[in-house]
Amino acid sequence: MSKEIRKSVDTARKKTKPRQKKARPEAESPRIGVFVCQCGSNIASIIDVDALTKYVQTLPNVVHAENMNYPCSRQGQDEIIAAIKNNKLERVVVAGCSPRLYEPTFQSCVSRAELNPWLFEMANIREFASYCHQTTPGEANEKAKDTVRMAVAKARLLEPLKPIELPVTKKVMVIGGGIAGINAALDLADMGFKVYLVEKTETIGGYMALLDKTFPTLDCSICIEGPKMVDVGRHPNIEIISYADVLKVEGYVGNFKVKIRKNPRYVIAANCTGCGECRDACPIEYPNYADMYLGARKAISIPFGQAVPLTHTINRDYCIECYKCVDACGAREAINFDQKPEEIEVNVGAIVVTIGYGMYDPKDLAWTGYGRFSNVFTAMEFERLILAAGPTGGKVIRASDGQKPHSVAFMQCVGSRDINRYEYCSSFCCMYTLKHSVMLKEKYRDAIEVYVFYNDMRSNFKGYEEFFNRAQKSGVKFIRVKLENRRITEDPQTKNLTVCGENEDGKPVSVEAEMVVLANAAIPSQAASELAKILKIPLGKDGFFAECQPKIRPTDTEVPGIFLAGACQGLKDIPYSVAQGSAAAAQAASALSKGSWTVEPLVAKVNDELCSGCRVCESACSYHAINVEKAGDKSTAKVTEGLCRGCGICSSACPMDAITMPNYSDCQIVAQIQAVMKRELKKHD
Amino acid sequence: MPFQTLKKDTAEELSLEWIMHVKNYKLNLDKNRCVGCQICSLACPKEAIRIEKQSKTVGEKTQKAKVDIDLSKCNFCGICDILCPYGAITVTVDGKHLLSVLDKESFPQLIRDIKADASKFPMDRDKSEDVCPINLIKVHYSTAEGKPVEDSCSLNESEQHALRMKVEVDKEHCPCCGICEAKLPQGAMHVRRILSGKLAIKRENCPEGCTDCLDVCPITGALYLSDGDKKVHENEMFCVYCGACKIVCPVDEALDFKRTRINHTPVRSGAWNKALERLTSPTDMTKELKAKRSLRARESVKKRMGLKEEQRV
Repeated sequence: MSKEIRKSVDTARKKTKPRQKKARPEAESPRIGVFVCQCGSNIASIIDVDALTKYVQTLPNVVHAENMNYPCSRQGQDEIIAAIKNNKLERVVVAGCSPRLYEPTFQSCVSRAELNPWLFEMANIREFASYCHQTTPGEANEKAKDTVRMAVAKARLLEPLKPIELPVTKKVMVIGGGIAGINAALDLADMGFKVYLVEKTETIGGYMALLDKTFPTLDCSICIEGPKMVDVGRHPNIEIISYADVLKVEGYVGNFKVKIRKNPRYVIAANCTGCGECRDACPIEYPNYADMYLGARKAISIPFGQAVPLTHTINRDYCIECYKCVDACGAREAINFDQKPEEIEVNVGAIVVTIGYGMYDPKDLAWTGYGRFSNVFTAMEFERLILAAGPTGGKVIRASDGQKPHSVAFMQCVGSRDINRYEYCSSFCCMYTLKHSVMLKEKYRDAIEVYVFYNDMRSNFKGYEEFFNRAQKSGVKFIRVKLENRRITEDPQTKNLTVCGENEDGKPVSVEAEMVVLANAAIPSQAASELAKILKIPLGKDGFFAECQPKIRPTDTEVPGIFLAGACQGLKDIPYSVAQGSAAAAQAASALSKGSWTVEPLVAKVNDELCSGCRVCESACSYHAINVEKAGDKSTAKVTEGLCRGCGICSSACPMDAITMPNYSDCQIVAQIQAVMKRELKKHD
Repeated sequence: MPFQTLKKDTAEELSLEWIMHVKNYKLNLDKNRCVGCQICSLACPKEAIRIEKQSKTVGEKTQKAKVDIDLSKCNFCGICDILCPYGAITVTVDGKHLLSVLDKESFPQLIRDIKADASKFPMDRDKSEDVCPINLIKVHYSTAEGKPVEDSCSLNESEQHALRMKVEVDKEHCPCCGICEAKLPQGAMHVRRILSGKLAIKRENCPEGCTDCLDVCPITGALYLSDGDKKVHENEMFCVYCGACKIVCPVDEALDFKRTRINHTPVRSGAWNKALERLTSPTDMTKELKAKRSLRARESVKKRMGLKEEQRV
């Protein structure tokens, strides 16, 4: 601690009166009730709940103690409410499981008995005693007693609290304009919320806009998504901020401040009609990412015909600045070579993250020959080959000779289900391979042989197994191979490929094919790790965003007000991304629809008189929730309640003892310590 | 097959390639034709071309500067191809030498105003072909019946008189030095310059015995070593203003060099204006713009007043 801080601490200490000792609570007040849970056999098989209940009755202030099987059940809760009323209980302790899941349940239970929900305390005798000391029941029982005694000691000092209401901005930001983001945005906009849809690339649509057909119905992908994209562009409540990056996010649920950089397109969106005359005049071409670089696009162009917004973009990396586009645009005057990146700030109440996924580059898997053999493609490249609006006009042709192949082999699980690359299953590759093989078979019939090298065919979900049957019936040959020892080799003369593997018995199988398509792994988006830092939300170990609870809160993040949808949370195909987009929209809407956001009152409280403004708390807080502000001639710490997570670090760091955590105050914690030490003393006596 | 970029650098050529599934872009630099002038590197709108002066070995002739192209910056626009006075660079799309920048009128073509009158050529084939310092003139003789004749000198005068002559000039690779026009009989060749400019050697600044500029100059006669002061002198009559000499000159003040004008087809293009500014000077670029503007003004006046060419005088 620096000299100045020490000095200010000393002077402030002198000024304040010595703290008054709290009067010892009288024997009967407050009246405490303890409910011991048996939890089926989870607790009762190790802990002698009857003995524990008897022991609890001996503790000071406890006027009621009973054990029951499931206090969390409807019947159990009713019994607790009745006991509170009959015994005029002022504090309630439940000795059972983890407060993480059940504290809210019992808080609402006691509030129904007209007791303040913060006058409730939980003692975890399941995880802390019966679960972890199964082999030593004697010690487990002792520990259960200690845990309950501590809870009762704290309950005696609990104070009633009021929840904090924070105002919210009724606007939502959706980050990522794929199919999940499009649905989230449309749902929220229809509910009346203003939506900002931020997209990194030039157009919304995501991967779905680049696909030819969708499985299992073989609907044209862009024909389904295109109208939705147009709806987004036309919706009065949606503002698309495309070709933009999210730079910074500050604030908390209901009050986020987002800084965005709009990258220059060198085309004024308001003036561009999307006519494409500039594109026709432009002499320069470069490889098009939307065509997986199989074909080229002009230096001023849109990535594909259905782009929304239909605004052209100049790629200055390739443009030679001949200004032919300026001449072609003429009186519309949409082209501006002086455009600069523009930073804007937007206030929103909630954020939905839908940034999607990326694709693994199989070049570093040498056995695939990808990048070395000209007729080995990835699935996305094949998708652009077979698409009528693609670079070859829908002709499936080899790179080596431009001829239609007479045999195509599909290789599954490239990079995925590989503990050295991506351990998980990419979830939709089996299905798109079935789609590609059916499309080839139904287009060329007997003129083409289609082989699928697979390990497990994963065709669960509605209509998918039937689609697998359709593929089998159409004559596609399925060859089951082990994931190890697969190999693709090329005949240097014919450029044909030999696909080799081992069947279940370890015997080699091989097939010659004129084209090979790899089902390369889908991987976390490149932008995910950076965005995770900006939003302060965690990534899972696979690199996808981690949801708050995998089973019952799949669209929530650890940060209230930030929600997840689509493949950025975990790989999923189109219908599930759509459903999750709508789910996240509903979550965001329910957070904002009340007009205010309720925060648990367990946030740091600063005693202005004691605070010396030393700023120790400021640097201790990892949530930037506490800041020293000048008020009049004194600087004191102020807590931003929406950001405070109640961790208590500031309270313990404060040299003046000026910060308290409601219901985690020093005297409450000391009382618990004293309660647990009592047994220790007895033992040594 | 994913998108691939290739770069090959051999003693004979430097080639860059973009290989897409449906399209192939290729740039080829013929190192035998390249003289190491700086025109391509100045003209390149993406600043992808670098000129590297080669280190000198004592007792050997100075090496011409080496051209290197950055594959990550090159966009295969073909501007270097168009501007190279020696035609050393070729950009092709799917193997075809059709440049989009010309097609879309984003860039002008150099005007190589070269005319040959075969009837005025001398009978000696070697003599006529050898006048060209970079061997671009080919003369073919044939009899009246169309039979090719190899050795025309061995024929007698009347036979020679009956021969038919055909002259082929490889215009694509011609820097238009005009030596042929000067050395062949009058009227045999007609050559107008592509580039105009100024070249003056400040001999007082030349290092003792230095012939670097002369070593690299591809046009015999544009520079020569004087018997008197043993220093290099210039003959602007034949200079093509490529600037290969300026690159290798070890003393900045020794060589006064600039380009002032480029003979090109009419164009309206920002890319051309920038290239022109870098190749000549801002002043010279402005001059061309002014000339263009006054030409346009004259045209519009003509249109509005309805004057005809004769009435204007």
